[in-house]
Amino acid sequence: MDASQLLKGVLDVAVLAVVRQADGYGYDVVRRLRTAGLEGVGDASVYGTLRRLYQAGALTSYVVPSDEGPHRKYYAINDRGRSVLEDSGKTWRTFVDAVDGLLDGAPA
Amino acid sequence: MTAPIAPGASQEARDYLADVERELADLPAEERAALLEDLEQHLAALAEEGDDCPVVIRLGSPAAYAEELRAAAGLPAQRNVRPSPRRDEVRRLLARVEAHPLTDEVRRLWGELRPAWWVLRGYLLIALPCALADQWDFPVPAPLGSRVLGLLLVGGAVAGSVALGRRQLSPSNTRLLTVGGSVLALLSFVVAVGGTQSPSYDVGYATPVVYDQAVGDFPLVSRYGPVTDVLPYAADGTPLQGVLLYDQDGRPLQVGFQEWWADGCSRVLRQPLAADGVPVPHAFPQTYVLDPTGGGLDDPALCDLVTDRPEVSLPVFPATVATPTAAAPTPAAPTDTVPVPAVPTGVPGD
Repeated sequence: MDASQLLKGVLDVAVLAVVRQADGYGYDVVRRLRTAGLEGVGDASVYGTLRRLYQAGALTSYVVPSDEGPHRKYYAINDRGRSVLEDSGKTWRTFVDAVDGLLDGAPA
Repeated sequence: MTAPIAPGASQEARDYLADVERELADLPAEERAALLEDLEQHLAALAEEGDDCPVVIRLGSPAAYAEELRAAAGLPAQRNVRPSPRRDEVRRLLARVEAHPLTDEVRRLWGELRPAWWVLRGYLLIALPCALADQWDFPVPAPLGSRVLGLLLVGGAVAGSVALGRRQLSPSNTRLLTVGGSVLALLSFVVAVGGTQSPSYDVGYATPVVYDQAVGDFPLVSRYGPVTDVLPYAADGTPLQGVLLYDQDGRPLQVGFQEWWADGCSRVLRQPLAADGVPVPHAFPQTYVLDPTGGGLDDPALCDLVTDRPEVSLPVFPATVATPTAAAPTPAAPTDTVPVPAVPTGVPGD
């Protein structure tokens, strides 16, 4: 099964979780997701997700000036984001347990 | 509405950013600007990594990137049909030409030359039809055979054209004017070029230089310039000596005197003498010998005693044809004293 299909559904959770660990700018989030094992995550998907979560009020952002190159826009999770993550996390676990149960069930 | 681009960004990154921007063209400006700002920073970060992987490989095509971005950001997919990649390419090329400093120069120059074009445009408007109708006394058009009328019409047309040029026109009228002007200029160019080429014999443009040379010292002129000698060969390649040549009317063929030689030595012409003691000028090739007086300038040791024929490319005839023709030139008395074609040494036609 193509992991990218699954990723779409859980990218919100994954991005929120990454940003909860530490504030991060777009590329930083992309790299941390990949390091965590979500290698198939697309750059555009991460940026789009960050943007949407920011629009939804789940993230705040601030700009850090940089000596070389453009300034970096960092994203930080806020209370709203944390509650969204908590809800989504529960949904995810329930979902995973259900699928696990199906997979672990003895073949007919 | 161009995305902010860091001055240090590579052309590749700029192109990519511009392409994605186009893909997002239907989004509200604020939304688009935010997404592009992210992308620009991302491209800069990728560049800092310093791997040589092209952006398109790293991030996918601009269209795919934009689509993924829209989907992830929860934005509507692009409604209008995506332009073809080729059109993208052309647009990108145009954008690059536009960005070139030379383009600005040309544009400025064009702006400065516009009044000149207005005047020319008015003139051509009258002159072109007259030239086409052959009512034309260069450079004044003479409609109905009247130069005065032509001048009046040109004056009126130029005044009108300049007035038109100074006026602010609606975009559609401007386009009409541009197209009309281009057609006029193109037609004029074609007429001007065609006009100087075809009837050139009547006008007297025909290679006047060569014509002038064909008198006096150089009675024979080829397309390469004055002819000072003719080198005959038999069909089998044997160099011939003492060949008498006549033109199409039976007149002896005469060539010019060769003054300059590759070795820098001066020579005198030794034409064979007829029985009555008169030199025969049309025996070819011409025979030159070193100037016996030398003029005190030439060191005979430095002069070539024998002037070799230049190398020529002889045609190869089919064997069946070669046999009879090779036998034909026996009366021309080939001599074996003449060296076989060798290195060119400043001999005629060089």
